[in-house]
Amino acid sequence: MKVIIADDHPVVRQGLRQMLAVEQDLTVVGEARNGQEVVELSRRVPWEVAVLDYNMPGKNGLELIKELRQRYPGRAVLILSMYPEDRYAVRALKAGAAGYLTKESAPEELVSAIRKVAGGGRYVTPTLGEKLALELEDNRGKPLHETLSDREYQVMWMIASGKTVRQIADELFLSPNTVSTHRTRILRKMNMKSNAELMHYAIAHHLVD
Amino acid sequence: MSEAATAARSAAVPEGLSPEVTSEAAPQAKILLVDDEPKSLFALQELLSTLGQNLMIAQSGEEALRLALKNDFAVILLDVRMPGIDGFETARLIRSRERSRLTPIIFLTAAADEMGSMFRGYEVGAVDYLQKPVVPEILKSKVAVFVELHRKSERLKESEDKLRRLAAHLISVREEERAHIAREIHDELGQVLTGLKMEVTWLAKRLREKPLVEKTDSMCKLIDTTVQTVRKIATGLRPEMLDDMGLIAAVAWQAKEFQKRTGIRCRAKLPPEVKLDIDVSTTMFRIFQEILTNVARHSRATRVDMELGVNDERVSLEVTDNGVGIADSDLNGKKSLGLLGMHERALLFGGEVKITGTAGHGTRVSVSIPLRQRT
Repeated sequence: MKVIIADDHPVVRQGLRQMLAVEQDLTVVGEARNGQEVVELSRRVPWEVAVLDYNMPGKNGLELIKELRQRYPGRAVLILSMYPEDRYAVRALKAGAAGYLTKESAPEELVSAIRKVAGGGRYVTPTLGEKLALELEDNRGKPLHETLSDREYQVMWMIASGKTVRQIADELFLSPNTVSTHRTRILRKMNMKSNAELMHYAIAHHLVD
Repeated sequence: MSEAATAARSAAVPEGLSPEVTSEAAPQAKILLVDDEPKSLFALQELLSTLGQNLMIAQSGEEALRLALKNDFAVILLDVRMPGIDGFETARLIRSRERSRLTPIIFLTAAADEMGSMFRGYEVGAVDYLQKPVVPEILKSKVAVFVELHRKSERLKESEDKLRRLAAHLISVREEERAHIAREIHDELGQVLTGLKMEVTWLAKRLREKPLVEKTDSMCKLIDTTVQTVRKIATGLRPEMLDDMGLIAAVAWQAKEFQKRTGIRCRAKLPPEVKLDIDVSTTMFRIFQEILTNVARHSRATRVDMELGVNDERVSLEVTDNGVGIADSDLNGKKSLGLLGMHERALLFGGEVKITGTAGHGTRVSVSIPLRQRT
């Protein structure tokens, strides 16, 4: 498979080259340092997959994706970005990217992503996939935490952040009894038995960091 | 008719005034003398000429009004009894105009029986009342006081203006600097870390001994956390979304982040995405951040509702919380530098910030900034 790589940082390009060189079925056919060079390169050499940094000087990532997709509808653009996927991935995919990876991803992941998109597929990381699935699920019915009142939500968030009843009471100027009552109601509404379950839910739904 | 007669003889400074008055740099203050009697005008002119200020004269109410429209007077000496528009009416009209709304007026009255109408004079804005024939020393020292007052308020206005420009400059410099540092940190440091990780991974693939592989694994994890830290610092300095995706996406993200960080529910009502001027976007975004900071710090709210609106003319933001409500004393208190900062930021683009709060019923902040001509 013929691959173009583009990144404005030599270290990253070098790393990518090394990483891909090990793979028998992948060949890096050209490198670019910015959007303009990508466009020129894409005309000059034959390629199947373009691995692009999202944020290079010149053209911004979305424009670049759109342009490549328009000129070469059959080929795949894979975004490798410094930015977390929760903010950018969906946009990139909507613009026509075949996949979105952050630079923290393991090399194996990048390699398998290239293989997958070269075959015409799309690649999303398990984390993003899970998030998209959750959103779908959330759209079907109200997510559980939306059934809580504003105050209950706040108490739930504090429990999920690992705070004790005492600490919560102090911070919210409430009596510990009131906080406990809230907690009982929260667990009932969310159909849960323990703080641990609550924490797990909050993390899975990105309600806490 | 005589336009503006100046009598600028060397000043004999009245006693009891601050020495600043003597400084030669001080520009002359304008004083308006209004009387239909040329003789009285002449007498007033003579009397006040020793103050060394710019004396202007008018022989009728109409003329006085015309002059008051074009000049800022330190004080106006106004004869009550004049043909045509009388002194009271002239004073009322002068006071009704924005420019001369606060100009001090001293009424001059000829007869003792007119003292009964003193109240009317005060009603239309007189600050003092003198009976003719005036005692020269009294008139002179009264006028001198107003001249000094005028000069001080001019100086105050000037320094206020300077401070505002300085604040504006500081705001934009800080914003530029933040953006610059954020970009440097994120791009340079971030990319080097990425490269480093790739190198370590390359190395790891060639290692056979378990302890060494474990070492490279932990190195990779360390690099990952560092990347995350770098990202957090850069975003904290200036969210890259603001530049990449615009105000609406950035505000949506900030609202989500806020809820995630504080546990206070934040509901956002946002318009479809539009491209806005980057400086206006930055201003709005920073004000929104400041509002949220205040909510988190002081409101004890459990919920924040925000709405962002954009039309052809302006971008507006409404943020309401259900907390304890801001007290009037806090709105203007010495500690409200954050609020002051919001006002200053908005003012920089001709916008405004309104804050209303009732104890126990939350606080509402409305921000409105006009959009510059879009190209």
